[in-house]
Amino acid sequence: MTLNGIDVTDFLTAMLATGLLRAVPLAIASLGDVFAQKAGLLNLGIEGMMLSGCFFGFHAAYKTESVVLGMLGGIAGGLAMALLFGFLTIHLRVDQVLVGLAITIFAAGLTGYLFRDWYGGQNVAANVRARSIEIPLLSDIPIIGPAIFHRQIIFYICWALVPVFAWLLYRTRFGLNVRAVGESPFAADAAGVNVIRTRYLAIGLAGVMAGFAGAFLAVADLRIFTIGMTVGQGFIALAITMLGGWNPWRIAAGAILFGMLNALGDSLQIVGVGIRTEFIGMLPYIGIMLALVVLAGKTQLPASLGVPYARGQR
Amino acid sequence: MNRVRRPFRILGVLTLLAAFGMGFIAPALAQDASPEPTISTAALITPSARTNLGWDQQGADGLDAAAAATGITAIVAENGGYDDITPALADLADEGAQLIICHASGYQTTCPDFAAQNEGVSVAVIENPDAVSERVADIETQAQEVAYLAGVLAGLTTTTGTVGVVVSGEPPTWNYMTVGFAEGLNASNPDAKLIYSVIGEAAYDDAAGAKRVTEQQLANGADIIFGMGDGASFGMIEAIREYNEANAETPAWFIDVIGDKSADYSDVLLTSVLFDYSGIYEEMIRNAGTDQFGQVYTMNVENGGVRLLDLPESVPAETADAVASAQASIIDGSVTVSAVGDSEGMHAKLAELGYE
Repeated sequence: MTLNGIDVTDFLTAMLATGLLRAVPLAIASLGDVFAQKAGLLNLGIEGMMLSGCFFGFHAAYKTESVVLGMLGGIAGGLAMALLFGFLTIHLRVDQVLVGLAITIFAAGLTGYLFRDWYGGQNVAANVRARSIEIPLLSDIPIIGPAIFHRQIIFYICWALVPVFAWLLYRTRFGLNVRAVGESPFAADAAGVNVIRTRYLAIGLAGVMAGFAGAFLAVADLRIFTIGMTVGQGFIALAITMLGGWNPWRIAAGAILFGMLNALGDSLQIVGVGIRTEFIGMLPYIGIMLALVVLAGKTQLPASLGVPYARGQR
Repeated sequence: MNRVRRPFRILGVLTLLAAFGMGFIAPALAQDASPEPTISTAALITPSARTNLGWDQQGADGLDAAAAATGITAIVAENGGYDDITPALADLADEGAQLIICHASGYQTTCPDFAAQNEGVSVAVIENPDAVSERVADIETQAQEVAYLAGVLAGLTTTTGTVGVVVSGEPPTWNYMTVGFAEGLNASNPDAKLIYSVIGEAAYDDAAGAKRVTEQQLANGADIIFGMGDGASFGMIEAIREYNEANAETPAWFIDVIGDKSADYSDVLLTSVLFDYSGIYEEMIRNAGTDQFGQVYTMNVENGGVRLLDLPESVPAETADAVASAQASIIDGSVTVSAVGDSEGMHAKLAELGYE
């Protein structure tokens, strides 16, 4: 069966595969950011943390020719930016919005500078290839088989993190502390929760995941670094975190929705539906806005989001 | 004896007169061909890094070559971005730049405004002939002519009969080349299918987005991708490399634009639509400060300002001959390639050719 001369099975397979792949870095970064936001930290530096993860992940992969070390390099890059964010906002209690934007701008400048200094700005590819696995039988299912069951190992690891983070947030003492600190740090403090430490752990986790997401892009997916390569995906992840109501399962769904709308846009162009490309490009953002409108009033921000904490000062 | 000498005397006098005359005329002729520059410093501002093997690098390299040829100082200001560059222009003027080449279509209005307010500075803009005045020059690139040749090559090389065009936006330069490529494809292989995809509004650095779009095109049968993306091009290349690893028997190819990536990417690079700015920059430098400056400077196939990168050995001789023949037809005027810069016109042209 063909659609405008294009095989429908190939078309749908490519669309599903693309949508899920587009969703991965968004989902990973959002999962980590849940903890930052739930702990009361409005992390606008997530874009910079992702970009840092891209660069340091690529650099580690390029030098060591190892995907694993590349991913660890990316995690370290994201974590470093997150700890800087934490020091300024938790320790020095500087405005979180300003620090977040500053971190993003700083990371763009730093990675651009280092890329030019270390690589002469040349877009060389790292000699790595993330391993793929083909799950027997399931990968033979038409459309969803090749799109879902014949992917890189890291693709499965990323999606497996969704239940892990749901468990961490809702079933562990750490998750409870994070939620308590984000709602009322004073009450949490009075109840014996170490607010400063909890917020550092939360932003650290957000940095780790943002760096991981960046490394996924630069190491597992593209094997290259280009200046500014995150192109706003960190901010989209931030929106997805809120869209998902800080619930890891809903966040995963939101990331898939965004990825699939993106893939749908690309696919509509390939079929040649005659819709202007500008409108097609708007599709994912319209989808996000519609979802936000539908969910308006059904989600509630953590009460202390963006509020610095100092013991004894209300 | 005298009869014999007289013709020699006359010849000698004529020779002296000729030599005397040439003494005056020759420098004047030489001056007409390549006048000495009246400026000492020229600058170029690019939206992104000059090391991207693409648009920015070709512009910066072109200025360096032109400056070396004319003996003036060149300043390259990278990463100007796409916002208001007036402060950067002021800095360049403070550094002594008497000519500023504004190397992005997004600078079409800012630079003429700046020249109007700064008497000692001439500017050059991209694809804005209406802005031409005494101190504003315009650069037109007949890139559609070379893109036509790339289209001819793609039409004769594709084995699946499907060819993809991936762009990181729809600026005039990309649109010119898309139309030229489509016409070339249609001329060489009327049965071929063309898939056209835009990565995003201004997705020049979106390598990941470019990879996704290219993967979809490859999955839907394209085996040649004509990519216009700047930094995003590397995502397209990576998609093709991955595809070729899984499909070694039927590999896909990439046709690049503006720069030469053959040193690192010859495994997937079929050719590139090369832009060589050095010739027109040299002309501008020599004209800057004179009444010759304000004009449209054009790069085309005939003057070598735009050309195809040398084809790889894997391209059959008859295909290379067909491309050379198409080039000759463009130069002698028997083939005229449409010059369509606006995106609406470009889409109309694709529809007219049956591709949308």
